[in-house]
Amino acid sequence: MGLIEEMAARSEELAQKWADLILGTYPVETQAVWRNNRDQFSNPVGHSILTATSELIPLLLSWNDAEAVAKALDKLVKIRAVQDFSPSQALSFVFVLKKLLRQEFVAQLSSKGELEELMRFETRVDNLAVIAFDLYVASRDQIARMRVEEVKRAHTNIVRRANLMKADVAAHKAD
Amino acid sequence: MAKIIKPDEMLKSINYAPPATDWMDLPNDLSPGRWAYPAKLEKVEYLMHEVPGVFGNPRTWNPADPDWQLPSNWKEIVVNGFRERLDKYRSLKLFMDICVRCGACADKCHYFIGSGDPKNMPVLRAELMRSIYRGEFTLAGKILGKLTGARVMEEDVLKEWFLYFYQCTECRRCSLFCPYGIDTAEVTMMARELLHLVGVNINWILEPVANCTRTGNHLGIQPHAFKDIVEFMVDDIETITGKRLNVPLNEKGHEVLFITPSGDVFADPGIYTFMGYLIMFDAIGLDYTLSTYASEGGNFGLFTHSDMMKAINGKMYSEANRLGAKWILGGECGHMWRVVNQYMDTMNGNLQGPQMQTPVNPITGTVFKNAAQTKMVHIAEFTADLIKHGKLNLDKSRNSDIIATWHDSCNTARAMGMFDEPRYVLNSVVDNFHEMPESTIREQTFCCAGGSGLNTDEIMEIRMRGGLPRGNALKHVVDKHGVNTMACVCAIDRATLIPLADYWAPGVKITGLHELVGNAIILDGEEERTMNLRQEPLPGMEEE
Repeated sequence: MGLIEEMAARSEELAQKWADLILGTYPVETQAVWRNNRDQFSNPVGHSILTATSELIPLLLSWNDAEAVAKALDKLVKIRAVQDFSPSQALSFVFVLKKLLRQEFVAQLSSKGELEELMRFETRVDNLAVIAFDLYVASRDQIARMRVEEVKRAHTNIVRRANLMKADVAAHKAD
Repeated sequence: MAKIIKPDEMLKSINYAPPATDWMDLPNDLSPGRWAYPAKLEKVEYLMHEVPGVFGNPRTWNPADPDWQLPSNWKEIVVNGFRERLDKYRSLKLFMDICVRCGACADKCHYFIGSGDPKNMPVLRAELMRSIYRGEFTLAGKILGKLTGARVMEEDVLKEWFLYFYQCTECRRCSLFCPYGIDTAEVTMMARELLHLVGVNINWILEPVANCTRTGNHLGIQPHAFKDIVEFMVDDIETITGKRLNVPLNEKGHEVLFITPSGDVFADPGIYTFMGYLIMFDAIGLDYTLSTYASEGGNFGLFTHSDMMKAINGKMYSEANRLGAKWILGGECGHMWRVVNQYMDTMNGNLQGPQMQTPVNPITGTVFKNAAQTKMVHIAEFTADLIKHGKLNLDKSRNSDIIATWHDSCNTARAMGMFDEPRYVLNSVVDNFHEMPESTIREQTFCCAGGSGLNTDEIMEIRMRGGLPRGNALKHVVDKHGVNTMACVCAIDRATLIPLADYWAPGVKITGLHELVGNAIILDGEEERTMNLRQEPLPGMEEE
């Protein structure tokens, strides 16, 4: 069995292990709570992590739909973009997949002299990181935009009145 | 030259796992974005003059600086203040003693759910204060120290309080799950009171409080400007309905004084809700007046100190007395109703003038016995009563493009128990309504993450992660039912839910309840409407 076939056969297990590694980027007290709760509404972060890894493993294997990959990444990236992470920590969840793949497959592939297969596959993970980076920056841009828009909305009628006053002053000058 | 590490060494050194440090020993991270801007010096000075003994240490300071310019005896002030409050409030002493750390609250806070920061678990947030209680006030804590989870007051602890008691919106969702009924919001209130004594504060709360005290509303808009702004909305209503409404302002001798949050007057989209109120009052011929002195229903004093809250709240009765109003109708607001429902009668009930009476709906004759104490009725109750008696002429089809869901605001839901009245009104003015999942509505509703004075833009990331549980439930009904509108009865919600929805559930519009009511009401003598209150084309009126 080649790497792709074996990953496909163990897809669910790998998704779970990858999710575990991602959960490991949170404080231990939090992990304890999040690992025990799979409810979508009371534990949206834990749920989103497992959903993302479960969707991404098959997409990485088929690797023919960039939009679907971006969609599967989106929510988790958005979550980590507003959590207390540096940018590198926020996106580390992609790179821990490499750690997992090496842990699971290096020994076996190198004994067969097929390590190249893993290296080829890791390019997909690198691409995943690049897509995640775009989504991350888009999220951060959105945060900045929302701040400005909120300030404008908060003063809608004040600005309206200020403009009116300005118009009055201008009219007075024109007289 | 510095040693350059080899790639394989570097790989080994990269570790994304957080350090396994005990929470008490974790250093505070005071990077920008993790705190709201501190209050301006002149606002603190003004408030110290107006309400003595509540605020202190006015100065220009920056939480990112190591030196917070605390008074030299700050520790004494805080510890004495703590002792004083333990004596004054039995509830605080109980909350400090009784917690058994069962963990029922741990994963109920929206900030914890979204951030994963253990100090946002309500149990641990309260522990930030309990540890000091043990260390400073209990014998066991004084002798055994850390063994009993005790510590003494230090500057780092104060900084930690500033970080985390300003990551609590006092929404009280955690209290719902506490087997002892510990009200974590009250723990937060006490911590903030202590912080205020030594000048550790945020501007987003103190500036509105100062403005409110001085001119009557959060933005400090003076009466003549306030009148102009109300006129804008009368103009807009004329554009939309062809009818010019009379809006009494500061007039004596009316039956009802109407008070709403000033956000409804100044801010988009609250202004459409405000127009909705005016349209409804005209439709039923309500004998009412607005006031500029009491032009703010919201009471940010609640987020500072009970004396401050009391002073601001007192304006409502003073103005009702001056204008001779028999009762007060209150607009769509959240924490305003926590203050009214839970504290107003105790704090200021003695200010009610002899002309004030238990509110009676002049159109239907319904007596609002629930408001016998405060003489103040929530507009959702009032409107539900009007609709129930068939007193409003409604055209639902004007809202037929709306697929709505309902956001229960924390304070009207958990502090007031108002669940069904707004839903009844909403269902009367829209055709399509879908609830969000049960564990995220009514008593269990998730906060907008901007309550208790945290709806400021400099902490947008904190708000977004805190808003995840709400946004996540909203996204669920967007995907499942095509929901495109979330309605609510809270001015802070109307402001904070917009970015929350943009980020977590794009495409959902936020409206106040009475915006939708105003759209649906058919006024006597109005022209055929082609647009809604936002001046967008009504369904079927879109240009070809």
